[in-house]
Amino acid sequence: MKPLATLCSALFALVTHAQDTSLHEFLIDNEPWKEVVSGQTFTDGLCTDAAGNLWFTDVKAGKGVYRLDAAGGQISLVHDNLPGISGLQFGADGKLYATHNKEQRVISIDSDGKVDVLATGVKCNDLVVTKKGFVYFTETPTKRIHCITPDRQHRIADEGHVTKPNGISISTDEQTLAVSDYGGKNVWTWRIEADGSLTGAAPYMTMQTTAGNDGAAGDGMTTEEKGRWFVTTDLGVQIFDPAGRLSGIIAKPVAAGKVVSVEFAGKDHDQLFVAAGDKIFSRKLKVKGWFGR
Amino acid sequence: MKHLLLLSFAIATLSPLSAAPQDDQYVLGPDSLPKDGVPHGKVLAMEPWHSKIFDGTVRDWWIYVPAQYDAGKPACVMVFQDGGKANEKDPKFGGPNNAVWVFDNLIHAGQMPVTIGIFISPGNFPPADAKEKPRSNRSFEYDTPDALYSRFLLEEILPEVGKTYKLSGDPEHRAICGASSGGICAFTVAWERPDAFRKVVSHIGSFTNIRGGYGYPAKIRQTKLENSQQTYNTPELKQALEQRRKIRVFLQDGKNDLDNQFGNWPLANQDMAAALKFAGWDYQFVLGEGTHNGKHGASLFPETMRWLWRDVK
Repeated sequence: MKPLATLCSALFALVTHAQDTSLHEFLIDNEPWKEVVSGQTFTDGLCTDAAGNLWFTDVKAGKGVYRLDAAGGQISLVHDNLPGISGLQFGADGKLYATHNKEQRVISIDSDGKVDVLATGVKCNDLVVTKKGFVYFTETPTKRIHCITPDRQHRIADEGHVTKPNGISISTDEQTLAVSDYGGKNVWTWRIEADGSLTGAAPYMTMQTTAGNDGAAGDGMTTEEKGRWFVTTDLGVQIFDPAGRLSGIIAKPVAAGKVVSVEFAGKDHDQLFVAAGDKIFSRKLKVKGWFGR
Repeated sequence: MKHLLLLSFAIATLSPLSAAPQDDQYVLGPDSLPKDGVPHGKVLAMEPWHSKIFDGTVRDWWIYVPAQYDAGKPACVMVFQDGGKANEKDPKFGGPNNAVWVFDNLIHAGQMPVTIGIFISPGNFPPADAKEKPRSNRSFEYDTPDALYSRFLLEEILPEVGKTYKLSGDPEHRAICGASSGGICAFTVAWERPDAFRKVVSHIGSFTNIRGGYGYPAKIRQTKLENSQQTYNTPELKQALEQRRKIRVFLQDGKNDLDNQFGNWPLANQDMAAALKFAGWDYQFVLGEGTHNGKHGASLFPETMRWLWRDVK
């Protein structure tokens, strides 16, 4: 029966989705959080590159941009004299893009360490760069999401929807932008138009909160290769499927501590790293990050 | 288009559930199929709807207008979630639960009122790049237990249909039906707007914790008159209570329905039924043997319609 088939197929699509999202799909037995970086003050800005190295900063006391080598595990200070960066990501052009919070500017850094200033006078928090070269960044205190176009025009892409826009990530097809709310309980999404503008703002995902709190402390975000969203919050790393449904919460490495940034790195991009105060932890997962750039 | 759609679903899912013997025992009766001598209503494909409330989404929808529709008399309304696409050229096309044939037959027999069916698919965000797939807004629209979907129907869809057809504004003349997430959506619409919708049909409803919908049984229990004073303590809330208690609910589920990280569907539906019983609502609950599948609900649908519409002629 065709009508039934139509209904049923819609339902089955849901079922296969639903059964695809249990936390058991992500975690591996005997692969707990492991401390991989220590002795920092406030780690942040996790991002990765094609080789799976982890790049990070120490926003409060660091000198610049650090790299945790995927092969050897040693830490090096790659870009010195750039303290106070809160968000990092490599662009398709190979440059490292950064929200230089302390200097209230957005910059790119080439492999020689040459800094190019893309925007100034912004209390920028975190950013994402598309393959086409659009940079989106959050400005938490002004409730704004900014866009810098490939021809370096600076626009306000959204304002006022998100109480405290913080973490930011993009769908694997780069058609949807997502921003976590530090002050609320939603992760918001937009459709990305061809000219880079954002439309269709919606509180697409609902984060769990701790008892008595209206805000989830949504912070750093990253995207898994099948399009799931990973978001750091008060409760841990919350995972949402592409339909926006909560799939599970990975507990924080230190129960009383914070997690503020999350990224898949390692040789196969299957190690989940979290910035947790003075330390960075990682654990191997069954799934991989989306490193589409 | 429709065949392609079906084919792609079949390929994408290839679900073993489609062959579950528990579901195959449920077959359609004569009231769910075309009958000779019964006039067939019109099936009208509508222009894809660009929503303002679900800003940026586009969706397919279509309506069914019974042959007995009289422009001089307001028609009853029944909204269906996951409406699919209209294809009136397909002789077998009958909508979810074969509703079109059920409506033809029951309206003709005088067993349900003249009712316009509105069949709506969930919204999609079309990608700016046509090579990419649209993002589905289904879970956001259906699973969220808030007033947004009811606003979408009342502020966008019903006024649009009302431009061409005379629709009754009496909430007792307004029904809503859905399966799975569409089922909890149907309940949510009536719960939020009992002034506008008072007849609910939920098949294999997702009264689980996808987006907080598992909270309904406790909320329904608070509508029992003896227990309502603390919750419904202002004139506006007392009015809402009075209207909520007039909602009529049909629930169907199967013992072999889903059990996953969002919850257990059969338990959740039994919890709903127990709450409706406790609070003294007008409800019916059928628990069968089926899985997460629409066959059982569809086989019951003519009887469900007689029960649901029994007060409206």
